[in-house]
Amino acid sequence: MLNANVRLYDELGELARYLDTAMRKMAEVGAPLVANNAQLPQATAHLLDLNTMTEKGTLEVMRLTEIIQDNRARAAKELSTAVSVLEAVDCRTLAACLGKTAQDLAQDDKHLMDIMTALSFQDLVAQRVKKLVTIIEDVHRKLVELVVVFGLKQECTAAETQGKAHEMLKQLEASKATAMKQELADELLSEFGFK
Amino acid sequence: MSADPNMKILVVDDMSTMRRIVKNIMKQLGFANVEEAENGQEALDKLNADAFGFVISDWNMPVMTGIQLLRAIRADEKLKAIPVLMVTAEAQKENLIEAIQAGVSNYIVKPFTAEVLQEKMNKIFK
Repeated sequence: MLNANVRLYDELGELARYLDTAMRKMAEVGAPLVANNAQLPQATAHLLDLNTMTEKGTLEVMRLTEIIQDNRARAAKELSTAVSVLEAVDCRTLAACLGKTAQDLAQDDKHLMDIMTALSFQDLVAQRVKKLVTIIEDVHRKLVELVVVFGLKQECTAAETQGKAHEMLKQLEASKATAMKQELADELLSEFGFK
Repeated sequence: MSADPNMKILVVDDMSTMRRIVKNIMKQLGFANVEEAENGQEALDKLNADAFGFVISDWNMPVMTGIQLLRAIRADEKLKAIPVLMVTAEAQKENLIEAIQAGVSNYIVKPFTAEVLQEKMNKIFK
């Protein structure tokens, strides 16, 4: 009975040491994990910014393309009228010349439509970004659970300020805050004598 | 039977860029009567409020997806005859099969060209 108790005591001691080592190792691994976790919401926000920026740019290209399309449609209509008039007054050479110009216009119409459809890349990029954001949010949630379960938060302060990811996020944040609009740049330039 | 250039077309997509692209192509193809909806539910409301001859819908959308919209259209006595063209980035075989089973009229995988859209329309309205 005494032997059994001693053995049990030894095994419990062994188990306690094992648990202690495991906890220490987890804390070591946990600190950088927690640091990265804190950066995830920022990374998500930047990804969503990408969507907004590409959407804005794409819509502007579309707006300009549509203006050109409308202008060309009007020009084609006027050319067609001119060709009819010239043919009626038997001015065939000039009519043929204008007809050729109308054909060239029609060819470019196709190119303009191709530009419009090529802009669908924005939708595909946005869908991928949304999926990435979902994945990042999921990883973030799981890491938060780890932080809560193992109480890793206090040990992460040093790690938070280190690492490439942190530096890159800092740069991204800074570029957002310091990005200058052209109007402001022009204002400054004019103050320095640039005309 | 070719498509009536005056028919009302509903373009359903949560992305404004895609709605604009499809609308632009339709205009170039001679269909100027095009309306937009941001998701399946908004589309369903518009379909119930007005007479549409054709629906072009995305698959992945918030509130109500394209496949849910398709099923709702096919289940509705008044709407079930409307041709529905799915334009989607969901390029898996399973998605296509699911859409066919739900009664899709044709299916386009993004990115697509105006020619593909025209070809599919011709097939639907032949």
